Amino acid sequence: MNFTSNQEIILRWKDEPAPLLGVLQEFHDRDGYLSEQVLRQIAKTLKIPVADLFGTVTFYHHFSREPGGLEAPRVCNGPICRMHGSDDLLKSLEGASPMPCSGRCDQPIPVLRGRETLVGLPGSDLERKPSLMPPVLPDNMEECVFVDIRDPRRASLEGYLNSGGYDALKIAIELGSEGLIKLVDDSGLAGRGGAGFPTGRKWKAVADASGNPKTVVCNADEGEPGCFKDRCIMDYDPHALVEGMVLAAYATGATRGFIYLRYEYPETEEILASAIREAYEKKFLGQDILGTDFAFDLYLRRGAGAYICGEETSLLNSLEGKHPFPRNRPPYPVTNGYEDLPTVVNNVETLASVPPIVRNGAHWYQDLGIGDQGGTKIISLSGDIVRPGNYEVPLGFSLMELIEDLAGGCALGRSVQAVTMAGLSGGFLAGGDLDVTLDEPSIREKGSFLGAGGIMVFDDTRDMVKVAFQAMEFFAHESCGKCFPCRIGTQRLSERLAGTAGPTDLQQWLDEVIDLGKTMTETSACGLGMAAPLISSSLLKYFPESVSHHVTG
Amino acid sequence: MKKPTLVLDGDQIGFNLGETVYEVAERSGIDIPTLCYDSRLDPFGGCRMCIVEVEGSRNPVASCTTKAMPGMRVKTAGGRLDMHRRVLLEMVVSENRELDVDPLSGYASQELKLLADRYDARSGRFNGKQSGQSFEDDPNPFIKRDYDNCISCYRCVRVCAEQEGDYAITVVNRGFETKISTEFEGLLNDSACTFCGQCIQTCPTGALGDLKALANREVPGETKKTRTICTYCGVGCSIDVLSRGEKVIGVLPAMDGPANKGALCVKGQFAYDFVGHRDRLKTPLIKNGSGQLEPASWEDALNCAAEGLSKAVQEHGRHSLYAIASGRAPNEVAYVMQKFVRAGLGTNYIDNCSRA
Repeated sequence: MNFTSNQEIILRWKDEPAPLLGVLQEFHDRDGYLSEQVLRQIAKTLKIPVADLFGTVTFYHHFSREPGGLEAPRVCNGPICRMHGSDDLLKSLEGASPMPCSGRCDQPIPVLRGRETLVGLPGSDLERKPSLMPPVLPDNMEECVFVDIRDPRRASLEGYLNSGGYDALKIAIELGSEGLIKLVDDSGLAGRGGAGFPTGRKWKAVADASGNPKTVVCNADEGEPGCFKDRCIMDYDPHALVEGMVLAAYATGATRGFIYLRYEYPETEEILASAIREAYEKKFLGQDILGTDFAFDLYLRRGAGAYICGEETSLLNSLEGKHPFPRNRPPYPVTNGYEDLPTVVNNVETLASVPPIVRNGAHWYQDLGIGDQGGTKIISLSGDIVRPGNYEVPLGFSLMELIEDLAGGCALGRSVQAVTMAGLSGGFLAGGDLDVTLDEPSIREKGSFLGAGGIMVFDDTRDMVKVAFQAMEFFAHESCGKCFPCRIGTQRLSERLAGTAGPTDLQQWLDEVIDLGKTMTETSACGLGMAAPLISSSLLKYFPESVSHHVTG
Repeated sequence: MKKPTLVLDGDQIGFNLGETVYEVAERSGIDIPTLCYDSRLDPFGGCRMCIVEVEGSRNPVASCTTKAMPGMRVKTAGGRLDMHRRVLLEMVVSENRELDVDPLSGYASQELKLLADRYDARSGRFNGKQSGQSFEDDPNPFIKRDYDNCISCYRCVRVCAEQEGDYAITVVNRGFETKISTEFEGLLNDSACTFCGQCIQTCPTGALGDLKALANREVPGETKKTRTICTYCGVGCSIDVLSRGEKVIGVLPAMDGPANKGALCVKGQFAYDFVGHRDRLKTPLIKNGSGQLEPASWEDALNCAAEGLSKAVQEHGRHSLYAIASGRAPNEVAYVMQKFVRAGLGTNYIDNCSRA
């Protein structure tokens, strides 16, 4: 580690787009931590005030500032891993610290050590294992995103091209950008990251917006507990994502793109990096794509452990090297996104859905859904079920059919007590409300939402107050600290659900919890603080006796 | 073109495109409560106290970050807005050690206390862990850092960056663990801090306090506020000097000062001890035959200076003289100085210490 080589690394990044995360990650990987000396050099060369840089680095959970920090094991303490004993595993590993859900709920318990993910239960050996392939569906169920994913050659460009890869781009060039946007719009595809904004409309807004260069950002910061679908797509079908991004760029006139990948997926980073390299080699990225004058450069950036960076405006701030607080909206990213210029921000599943939609047509995709609902949704299903995994189901599919028929239901003699929706953000559904179909209108009618499609199942042996506490503790840990209702509210709700503070009189306890929730829902600055109280309100709705017992003992 | 209008609490009000709802309301004399707002800084949208109802919007919106739009119908108080404001304040009160801080702490130090009383928020609800961590042992003579009373509005960080361009302090960690810190959590003295005191004056809770003024809190008498101009340089910053009896006990920046709009530097903010200092010169001094300085009248002193200057010109020529105008002098005085040097002494050797 000498001055010159540090400076060479920094100078190499200086002229790259979105340099800060890249240069920080390179030093973090090289040294195993971020030293004060390195941070001061980066600040000086990239012309960032050193205090600002320091504050920004401390925002991220995974950046270590002590030697050896990178290699210290980080044990997932997501809701599902806790049910499998992650607290015990944590205690048994020297120097280990907990980390929020790292997206292996179908294969607990993940432990991140340096750049590798190990998996194992307490008492067993930790093993390096690839992420799980989606379970095979019955013949009568047609998939969109997952249709070719089980082909082992699919992750290479050659294999991707053998199964229709980049045919969609050729079709799109025939259609022209307006035709492509119309096709996507007609398909009814909407944001699969949870917000559900119609993809065609978003693309049109960026295409129509003034200001250049335009940018396509893939939100691969899959931080929602209980969600692990994007990891699966990227691990086994990375070229579908790359092609989806090229299509988005072609539609909107964007010339640059970023994949913002969460820190917890180091293996995925290597897979994506190699896919991007292959795509450049075969001229699907770069200049003169497919012999046209269309040009698009794609960059990969890795986050550093912050759930809020899955919120698109936080993500953009993070990418720009700023403190990752969410931005005030409007204006929206379609006009004022990356570097204040028009930007598409789409989730991995949304982008990976586009190539098959373009190949098979808008009507084909529409018809995959049930009833009024068009298309499919990948559900990451985990918890107390026989076959956890990613299931691509038609929108409008029955929740209980998914749990009972496809995933094998709970273990023998057990029954479903509750499920979470939208990972944790949708709170719980239980009792009669489990009789619901998987689509936004039906789930919203029950006071929840489908969101990114993470569903965690809790059987009748689980202590739901404890589950709710752990969920709220997660939100408190991830609250960015910008707005008062979320920063203080998530903390106060966790304390009340843990029983460490708050009234012991039931009515007063309920008044406080309900008031906190209402103010958080109606005044928080972003979705985190708005959604977090769904945990407490749904707990009160479905499990009033457990709550009463918790408060009064 | 006709000015666009919106409806604010039932009244139709014209506005300029680009104005926020908060700015329009403030101009119309409507008092919307805020905690993270400082009109000199970019709107932040953190405290959510300034929420208003906008017709057609499901949830209330922060008026400080919402642009006024033609035809908008806005309600600034009543109903759930008051309920939310009270709950927000109860939350903030619950995370802090104390509400009642000495007004000598700083210009904005009473904001939280006044709002807590206005919305009856001292209910003791939402008790739990306290946020912040006091850093009172920072050995600097100016800025008290009592973060037990910090409410994470980041006005200090923002004023330091946006108004001063110093970037001495930052927000570290996140959520309830958020705190204000210098680079690598060091002392202010080792940071980029210039001790301008702007962070103190924008702090709405007194978590940051004016140590010099607070040291005078036992001085007896009523606090008198006198508007004047800082004597240190030609910028002419407006200040309000605080005094009790004959003693100057502190300085507040004048937010309506035309030259400074509340900004001050370390000298204007803190360096007022000369006023009552025993070494302060109160009459001119003339060196006697044995080289000792002796008090003299202005007439004698000016005569002495005139004689000395004339003698130098006679003996060594007019270019033997060189004059430096003080940076503390305003333009008009600097002008008179160069006139005196050029026309009176006959040399162009005139400069200003600000250039040196």
